[in-house]
This record gives sequence, C-alpha cells and structure tokens, in this order.
Amino acid sequence: MKREIKDKLLEGITYIASALSVLVLGAILFYLLTNGLHLIDWHLLSSNYYSSTANASVINDYEYVPMSDYSGEGIYSAKWGIAVEDITTSHNEDEISVVYVDPNSPFNHMESTVAGEEGKASSLSEGSLIKNIYYINENGETKFLSRVQMGDAAKLIGILDDQATGIVSCNFQSLGGGIRGSIITTLYLIAVSLLISLPIGIASAVYLHEYAAKSRINALIRQGIDTLTGVPSIVYGLMGVTVLFPITQLVGATSTSILLGGLTLAIILLPTIISSTEEALIVVPQSLRDGSLSLGATKSQTIFKVVLPCAINGILTGVLLGIGRVIGESAALVYTTSTVINDYPNLLSQGTSLSLMIWTIMSGEQPNFELASAISLIILAIVFVINIIVKIIGKRLARSFV
Amino acid sequence: MLVNKKRVKRNKSLDKFFHGFFMAMALLSASFIVIIVLFVFAKGISPFLPGYEYGQVNIISFLTGSLYRQDQGIYGIGFIVINTLVCSFLALLLSFPISVLTALFIAKIAPKKLGAIMQSVVELLASVPSVVYGVFAAGVIAALIKDLASSLGITTFGGSSMLAVIILLAIMIFPTLTSMATTAIKAVDKDLEQASLALGATRTQTNFKIVLAAAKSGIFAGAILGLGRAFGEATAVAMVAGNKLFGPTFDLFDITRTLTSTMLAGLKETSGLDYDIRFSVGLVLIAVIFVSNWVLNYVKKKVGNN
Repeated sequence: MKREIKDKLLEGITYIASALSVLVLGAILFYLLTNGLHLIDWHLLSSNYYSSTANASVINDYEYVPMSDYSGEGIYSAKWGIAVEDITTSHNEDEISVVYVDPNSPFNHMESTVAGEEGKASSLSEGSLIKNIYYINENGETKFLSRVQMGDAAKLIGILDDQATGIVSCNFQSLGGGIRGSIITTLYLIAVSLLISLPIGIASAVYLHEYAAKSRINALIRQGIDTLTGVPSIVYGLMGVTVLFPITQLVGATSTSILLGGLTLAIILLPTIISSTEEALIVVPQSLRDGSLSLGATKSQTIFKVVLPCAINGILTGVLLGIGRVIGESAALVYTTSTVINDYPNLLSQGTSLSLMIWTIMSGEQPNFELASAISLIILAIVFVINIIVKIIGKRLARSFV
Repeated sequence: MLVNKKRVKRNKSLDKFFHGFFMAMALLSASFIVIIVLFVFAKGISPFLPGYEYGQVNIISFLTGSLYRQDQGIYGIGFIVINTLVCSFLALLLSFPISVLTALFIAKIAPKKLGAIMQSVVELLASVPSVVYGVFAAGVIAALIKDLASSLGITTFGGSSMLAVIILLAIMIFPTLTSMATTAIKAVDKDLEQASLALGATRTQTNFKIVLAAAKSGIFAGAILGLGRAFGEATAVAMVAGNKLFGPTFDLFDITRTLTSTMLAGLKETSGLDYDIRFSVGLVLIAVIFVSNWVLNYVKKKVGNN
C-alpha cells in the first residue's frame, strides 16, 4: 500500500514537470497576444517605421463642391469632407488620425510646401496624423490651430464646422511604426542565404553520403560540419564582419549590409541543410541506385536524376527549417546588417530583419513592448506553421519507400 | 549495338568533375569552423600585441579584471566570465530536473496521445526564436521579479537581474535537454525493463531507478549541449542582464553582465579598440564553451564507466 502511494507521488511529479512547460508556452502566447494582437493589421505590415511630416496648402483657386455622404468610422465633417478619429500610436501618443477624405475635399487638393517639393500635388491620406491647420474664420482672418488646441477628434471637427470658412494649409504626419522595411529585409536575407547555402549544403550531403569512404579525412570533414552546430550565433556574426565583409566589398558594399548578413546566415544554415538532406538520402533505397547504375548511367547521372529527386522532401525540409532559422536569427545580424531600421532596404544597404527589429526597439531607451509583441506574434505564426509542415513532410518521408 | 563513344567519354569526364565538385563543397563546409576560429582568434588577440594601433591592452588585467567601463577604456572581463559560468550552471540546475521528469513523462508515463501532445509542446518551445524569449523575459519574468523583490523590500533595476537571466536561460535550454533526454530514455533496452518488472519492481520504480540510470549517458549529453547553448545565448540575455560595470554578481536580485551581453552592449562604431575588444570577448566565449565541453565530456566518461 505504501509503495502504491509513493509510486503515484512520483508519477504526479512528472505530470507537474510537464505542466510547467505547457504553462510557459501558454504564458508566452498569452502575453504576446494581449500586448501585440491589437497592433496587427494591414497598416502595420504595409507602412514605414519612421513617420514623415508633410506641409501642404490648399490650391489657391480651389472651388468648393458638395461632398458625397459618408457613413463609416470616425467623426465626419460634411462641410470639409474629412473623417477623423482618436488613436494611440505604437509610440504611445494620443493623436488624431484621418480615416476618410472625400475626393472633393479641399484636403485632397493641396500642394506641398516642403522645401524642395514646392508646388507638388499633395493630399491628406488615410492613416495620417493631423498636426496643425491654418484656417480662415468668419471675419476673414487666418487662424492657426495647433495640435494642443485641437484637443481630440470631436473638438477638431467642431471647430472646423463652426468657425472655419476656408482651409489654408495643413501640417500632417504619415503614421509610422510599420514593419514593411523589415519584412523586405527578411525576404532578402532568406533569398541570399538559401541561394548560397543550398548548393553547398546539398553537394556536401551528397559527398558525405554517396561518395565518402571511411577514411580519416572524411571523418574530419564530418566532425568539422558537426562542430558548426555548436557555435553560438554571435560568433558567426564576428566571423561575418572579418571574413565575409571583404567579399561584399568586391560588389560595392561600403558598410555592413543585408548582403553580408545573408552570407553569414548561409554558413549558419549549412549544418541544417546538410543534415536534413542526408537524412533523406539515407531513406532512398540502394536498389534504385543499383538499377540506375546497371542501366549504364554514371554515378553523377544517378545522383542528379534518381537519388536527388527522391530526396526532394528532405531538401524541402532543410529549406523550411532554414527559413525558420533566418526569421528567428538576431545575434549574428547585430554585427553584420547593423541595428538600424531601414524603410527602404536594398542588398547593399543596412537594415533589420523582423527579429533584429525587435532587438532594436527593445534595447533603446524606451522599450516598445507592444510593437515587439506584435512582431513576435508574426514571427511565431510563421515558425509554427513551418514546424507543422516539416512534421507532415517527415511523416510522408517515413512512408515513402516502404 | 552502337555505342556513342564520344558521349560516353563526355559523361565520364562529367562524372569526374562532379565527384570533385561534391568533395570540394564538403571540404568548404567543413573548413568554415577552422576559418571562424582562426579569424576570430587573429582579430581577438590583436589588442594585446605590441604595436596595436589603438594602444596595447594588458592581457592579464583583461582576463582577471573586475571592472568593465568602455567609456573609460577599462576592459576587465574576469568577473564577466564568472557571471556567465554562474548564470549558466544555475540555469542548468533549474532546468535539468524539470526536463528529465518531462522526458520521462513523454517517453514512459503519459498516455500515448498526451505524450504526443507534450512532445509537440517541447518542439514548439524549441522553435521559438531567442528574441521572442527576450521580449517575454523583459515583459513578464522581469516584471514578476520586480514585484517579488519589492514585496521583500528589495529594489531592482526594473526587474533586470541575475535571477531573470537564470530563469530565462532555464526556459531556453529546456527543449534541448528534454528532447535529448526523451531520445535517450526511448532508446533504453526493453530487456532491462522487463527484467526489473519480473523481479517484482513496480512500473514506476523501474522508470525511476532502471530506465533513468540506463539513459544517464544520453541525458548527460543533452545537459552538455544545453550548457553550450546557455553560454552562447545573446540577444535575449542582453535584454534582462542589465550590464553591471563591475562584479562578479552573486546577488540574485542584482543586475549582472555576461560575455554575450558585453559583446552586444553599446555597439556603435565598427573600428577602434571598443570594437576589436568584442572579438577578444568572443574568443574567451569560444574558449569557455570549449573548455566546459571538454571537462564535462571527461566527467561523463568517468560517470559512464562506474
């Protein structure tokens, strides 16, 4: 009887230990969802991180025409054809945001007064933040309405509807806090790293599994590749700036760049690509190779036309795991792509991937938890989907040659 | 039968070419580890050599120093090495029992369906990127520690502390430890279990006394791998370490500084002593990982022999 109680107790402990890990996963998801989910929308994905300000005045001889009806969100001014609402930006500031601008609204027929762009057609776009407005009152005087005087959306519309007889100019800010640039950078990094790492990785796996006889050199090669797995990613970053930077200089890089980050990631991915390709090669039955060889094909023909097509699932697994690794990598990129968020990245410019962007906004003076949580959610969603696909492929791979 | 001799010849030379190509690629892949060590060594050692352009640094005071002020040009990392070792080992100590018990649960105790679900949970935890753990640590773990400390009457730096680093690292190495332990436990010879059961031991007794003992070598290998990961973890740790200027830190609620958080702290320029010294720190990190691996593998062999 005593034995039974003791056994139950010991089993109970294993249940508790397992529950702890479920709790941690749950806590991570709960925290990220409560903090970041409300930020995820099309605007986050499609707009710039940095906001830009614009100054524009209504075209002098603009003729006022009646506005169409509007019945959407926000507070609408039929007089001026503009709907606004109160929002809190990802920088935690209360702002008045434009929800709708009527095609006939004076705010849609302005010209820029920003130095260098004078006279260029400009309009208040949806999502912009209104900073200040010059308007004409009943007595014909030009009045200035600052951001503070506007108060909130309702007050602004009230002032414009009651007091203004004309709009002179407007200062507005495009809403920042988006991650478009980082998404593009991440795609660049995935493309560059896979482009370099796939051929090298697949060829290495083919050599190790199809050619390598048992010899000291081959054992050494295998050990070298295995050791790569244990190298911390921050050390890869150090290697990237010393070894690979001169290579990127050859194609015109003057500083650390996305290209350099991609090359560094290519080396980080090598062990993953090699091992998943090799696992798939092991499953390919020897009889297929023998059949091809006995029909007169050379060894390399057999590899390209018989063995590798059979191993395509394993290669695909390697690609997917590689994409997951690139999306999640941060430490190696701190040294190789820099931590400067870039809205318009190209291969030779600096920039941040999604993960690195989290690092940048978290390590500043005022960490932005909400935006970091939102990006984390996006990353986790991608990584989890990749995980599921890899599992499905793995099950198919196990069945494929039975 | 007609044989196109030209074509056969071409195929043969192509075959030779590809053999060479595959071998060259494998050699290239394997050589990266050598390249990494060589170049980081060359750059990391340069500040200690005479004639270094930004002023030679004394290697002894670098390795044994207990003050790290990049603003004053004082670089001593002795205390940082101790911090890194202490944090990582305590994290392992925290994570090890939980992960071994979880592995035992997945492999032996849980009903089949529940075991598969737990396995998926561990895999999901393994796929969570390091920065995401960092956000969680800064947002949740640090906040909890701040509350705990203030209820004890201790002030913390917003919750950034050695305890936060330890808990974070324990969570991060948990999937590695668990999956290695699960594999090791699943690989235990069925005959051993049957023999134990036949001798009258209960299933739980067998699981805890026979299976765990038989899987000990694999479990230990997982611990070594996990420890390596704890040493090298960078961005997440840097978010909650707090980067203390002197040390070593032994107070759980005090801020600390690890090798990796030092390498990431205040990175602005890409030249000069402050930049080069990061390679020296990286070199020390590689050495710490290598030496601890070597020592632990030696211990593992000794334990395995008994």
